Amino acid sequence: MQLHPRYFGRNLRDNLVSKLMKDVEGTCSGRHGFVVAVTGIENIGKGLIRDGTGFVTFPVKYQCVVFRPFKGEILEAVVTMVNKMGFFAEAGPVQIFVSNHLIPDDMEFQSGDMPNYTTSDGSVKIQKDSEVRLKIIGTRVDATEIFCIGTIKDDFLGVINDPTTV
Amino acid sequence: MSHRGGMDDEDDDDDYEEQVADFDEEEVDEEEEDRSGGKKRRRSSFIDDDAEEVDEDDEEEEEDDYEDEDYGGKSSRKRQKSKKGSASNFFDIEAAVDSDEEEEEEEGDDDFIVETGSDLPYDDDNRGRARHRLPPHQEDHEDLEAMARSIQERYGKQRMADYDEETTDVEQQALLPSVRDPKLWMVKCAIGRERETAVCLMQKYIDKGSELQIRSAIALDHLKNYIYVEADKEAHVREACKGLRNIFGQKITLVPIREMTDVLSVESKAIDLARGTWVRMKIGTYKGDLAKVVDVDNVRQRVTVKLIPRIDLQALANKLEGREVVKKKAFVPPPRFMNVDEARELHIRVEHRRDAYGERFEAFGGMMFKDGFLYKTVSIKSISAQSIKPTFDELEKFRKPGESGDGDVASLSTLFANRKKGHFMKGDAVIVIKGDLKNLKGWVEKVDEDNVHIRPEIKDLPKTLAVNEKELVKYFEPGNHVKVVTGAQEGATGMVVKVEQHVLILISDTTKEHIRVFADDVVESSEVTTGVTRIGDYELRDLVLLDNLSFGVIIRVESEAFQVLKGVPDRPEVVLVKLREIKCKIEKKISVQDRFKNTISSKDVVKIIDGPCRGKQGPVEHIYRGILFIFDRHHLEHAGFICVKAHSCVVVGGSRSNGDRNGDAHTRFNGLRTPSRIPQSPSRVPRGRPSSDSGGRHRGGRGHDGLTGATVKVRQGSYKGYRGRVIEVKGTSVRVELESQMKVVTVDRNHITDNIAVTPQRETSRYGMGSETPMHPSRTPLHPYMTPMRDPGATPIHDGMRTPMRDRAWNPYAPMSPPRDNWEDGNPGSWGASPQYQPGSPPSRPYEAPTPGAGWASTPGGNYSEAGTPRDSSAYANAPSPYLPSTPGQPMTPNSASYLPGTPGGQPMTPGTGGLDMMSPVLGGDTEGPWFMPDILVNVHRAGDESVGVIKEVLPDGSYKVGLGSSGNGETITALPAEMEAVVPRKSDKIKIMGGALRGSTGKLIGVDGTDGIVKVDDTLDVKILDLVILAKLAQS
Repeated sequence: MQLHPRYFGRNLRDNLVSKLMKDVEGTCSGRHGFVVAVTGIENIGKGLIRDGTGFVTFPVKYQCVVFRPFKGEILEAVVTMVNKMGFFAEAGPVQIFVSNHLIPDDMEFQSGDMPNYTTSDGSVKIQKDSEVRLKIIGTRVDATEIFCIGTIKDDFLGVINDPTTV
Repeated sequence: MSHRGGMDDEDDDDDYEEQVADFDEEEVDEEEEDRSGGKKRRRSSFIDDDAEEVDEDDEEEEEDDYEDEDYGGKSSRKRQKSKKGSASNFFDIEAAVDSDEEEEEEEGDDDFIVETGSDLPYDDDNRGRARHRLPPHQEDHEDLEAMARSIQERYGKQRMADYDEETTDVEQQALLPSVRDPKLWMVKCAIGRERETAVCLMQKYIDKGSELQIRSAIALDHLKNYIYVEADKEAHVREACKGLRNIFGQKITLVPIREMTDVLSVESKAIDLARGTWVRMKIGTYKGDLAKVVDVDNVRQRVTVKLIPRIDLQALANKLEGREVVKKKAFVPPPRFMNVDEARELHIRVEHRRDAYGERFEAFGGMMFKDGFLYKTVSIKSISAQSIKPTFDELEKFRKPGESGDGDVASLSTLFANRKKGHFMKGDAVIVIKGDLKNLKGWVEKVDEDNVHIRPEIKDLPKTLAVNEKELVKYFEPGNHVKVVTGAQEGATGMVVKVEQHVLILISDTTKEHIRVFADDVVESSEVTTGVTRIGDYELRDLVLLDNLSFGVIIRVESEAFQVLKGVPDRPEVVLVKLREIKCKIEKKISVQDRFKNTISSKDVVKIIDGPCRGKQGPVEHIYRGILFIFDRHHLEHAGFICVKAHSCVVVGGSRSNGDRNGDAHTRFNGLRTPSRIPQSPSRVPRGRPSSDSGGRHRGGRGHDGLTGATVKVRQGSYKGYRGRVIEVKGTSVRVELESQMKVVTVDRNHITDNIAVTPQRETSRYGMGSETPMHPSRTPLHPYMTPMRDPGATPIHDGMRTPMRDRAWNPYAPMSPPRDNWEDGNPGSWGASPQYQPGSPPSRPYEAPTPGAGWASTPGGNYSEAGTPRDSSAYANAPSPYLPSTPGQPMTPNSASYLPGTPGGQPMTPGTGGLDMMSPVLGGDTEGPWFMPDILVNVHRAGDESVGVIKEVLPDGSYKVGLGSSGNGETITALPAEMEAVVPRKSDKIKIMGGALRGSTGKLIGVDGTDGIVKVDDTLDVKILDLVILAKLAQS
């Protein structure tokens, strides 16, 4: 945690904490997933002055709530985009792609103004803003992003809330 | 032995092996055997008169015309030949035929080892030789019948041997030379005279008979500089070689017994052509085409293959009807399935035939068709069966007439053929696809030659099973992250979404497109790559000028070509271009104007308001000829790039929607303008404002093009190499304050490059901002625009700093709601980019923004509202005048008036700064003066008396309507900011935040720490530490 000398003073600790929150919350680390919220500071180590800049680096140990999707996890997500290859959904910060191979075979892609996947009888429709329950079958974790592949081709998976019917 | 090594290699690729001379003492022994007849005859043939004569000639030549002989192997040999006439011809013929014969035999016999030393192979060698030698002998030979009989015997026996004792391994082994057999010696001879030397040796043998104790001499066509001599002792070889002009040096090397067979064995190229194998045609119209073997005739060396016909029916029809066929050069008809009806339409007679297997074919023009495929019988030599890798496209085509499973299996077999060694690695997940264990999954434990030991998945099976490699394929499950290691998609990575037998469907990491690959071609990998991202000088996302003067952005780099999204607006046009078709990279930094004449430079976030991509928004990556390439990460096609006309875009924040809603009141826009603590990109600074109005105040064409304030490097002229900050742009020249020298120089605009690393600048600004002393160097007149902004709220100027806030008063909505709300409704697009204004947004938001730099740079546009629009400009220009006189604060800060209008630009945050200073949001918050807001409790000092009041409304002229009394119920007065002071909240007071990212939010002061207050924000329940100065007590309502 780097801090500007300007912040040195009585409330150094507070500044550190607020900066930590600012810097860390909402980020994603490959190992731990998305940091949702910092819940507590365990300890703040001794600062190390950086040559030349005057900045000071503090080692900070903190606890936080993280969100990390796992393979096989069932999530509920909101569809953000539908295209012929499948659809993208978001569950909080995680983007999940559901390929058309992983959409039940009876659902067909309908292009048009509002691209969607519809069952042959038209009873179920997946389009933008639909809420779906899906199972994560694969995750790819980058330094700054987690990307998942999901499936709705399983029992009890699929649309759970359709914006059009509400 | 080094020679031998080299020779071995040659051995492999050369079927030609020749035994020129073979004269053996053992013939005598053989005579006792049945087949010795041929031998004898043969031997006698050597000693026929002709030969003898020639021999004499030869000897003479050797002795007398020694020098004569020496001038060149070939000519001398030719001469010899011509001179020797029949005899030498005979040798040559023998040699030639012999080699053929042997080759065939050996091919037939697989890897039968020709071993000259031992008895049995002899008949093999000699059989052929004898047979061919026979004709010339016949003339000389009186006893034709005996000969015939002996031939009969020989062949009869041979055949018997062939059929009776199928050569087994053991027998083969028995044939191998042992220590008792004569050894093979390698003798160095003149290059190019290997044959000749061997012939000479033979001749010598003929002449000298049993004196010569060597048994054979061998010249191999592929081995230069050496011949082999078979003899029991080295001394014998020396003896034999003595006097031969082509053998010099006495270097004789023994060939180890083990390697002897290699000398004379031919690497048989066993072409394993099974039905269903994929092959490629080597010649003809179908050259390079994929074909499938349907029948193999090993005897006639012919195969029947199935092809997709490339037939020009019209031409064929013409030909069949006897019309003149125009020979089109280099025109190969595209492969297309044959439609017999089409042929009939062209009056081509179509017959129905059945082949040997009773399959029905349609035949015309001498060609056989079935199911649209052409069945063609070709020589084995005209196809190549090695390492055929059918591509998916080809396989798909072949699969056309509804034979799905079949095609797959067939391709499988080919796949196996192409597997490299070490295909399976320990730990690979595999599945058995053939045999009893089919569908058994497991993991590779160990790999032997052909067998792979797998650990089966199912428990009750033995620990490891050995399975033939060919029965296994790699196994992947959906969700695996894999990397393609071979094939067309090499290098790509992706996640498996579907497994169809041995074909995987991946979703590529980069393109988010589906890729079909063979399971064999991929390995599991956690690596994320884009594959290749550059060829030559061109990289993914580069803007390039193409050959035909069109231009585009590289959106994908393939193995040898680029996919380029061309600069054609409103219609995505993707072309595949080769490296050489690209002229150059376009790296110009240009800025253009959007629909509302706002300047767009690269990295600005723009929104598309027209055309098919309407509504998309993203940072501008490239600008060229009025066309923008926008990168929208949510846009899946074309790697996220959208190509639009600059005129179809607005800089985000230029928010037209807002303007529409608010009608045309310029003042409102002005009102929306926030105190410009937002790092304002100079490019957004309104331009085109009447100069008469702005006068010098606006510091010349400052912000003309986003250059002012940018750190640039001079690349030409006397200041070349210097870096500095642009402080002014004057027409075509810029004034640059050099970093290294404390001076300002004027250089040509074209002589500078911007966009260089801007760290130094950032630091300056940081210090500038942080500094509390007005005397700080960074506030020298050179950066006058910084000055007011740097002031923390507590300095006297800070009143002046409030001025912009008073603009708010002009906003009729202001009293009711924080001005922000307007933006929120009107300008959702700008939100992501201006998170610090978003009430309750976690402070970390800015970092979440995909492109912080760009986002930041764009922020001003958003918050600033119409800053860039021309009408706003005028309003803006006027802005200072109305309230200047009425602002008591102003006189105290004489310079603030002139600076204020410029303040937006005053922040040294230029777009060039790009990277967001982590601190800046905080700084922004801190430097922000407390702008009074409605509902807060203030102390009004007026005419000596002091009273508490609640701000009711912010008036357009910068003053406030204040309701007196702690709840604001009393008399309403109008007060100027200078007359007011926010009531400092105490612990557990309800407060309103007047500055910083949370401006406008309400909260509760839960603690005071020196000059900081610890605030629990109502909306988010976050606990923040904020400067007390920006906190004001909220009136109780």
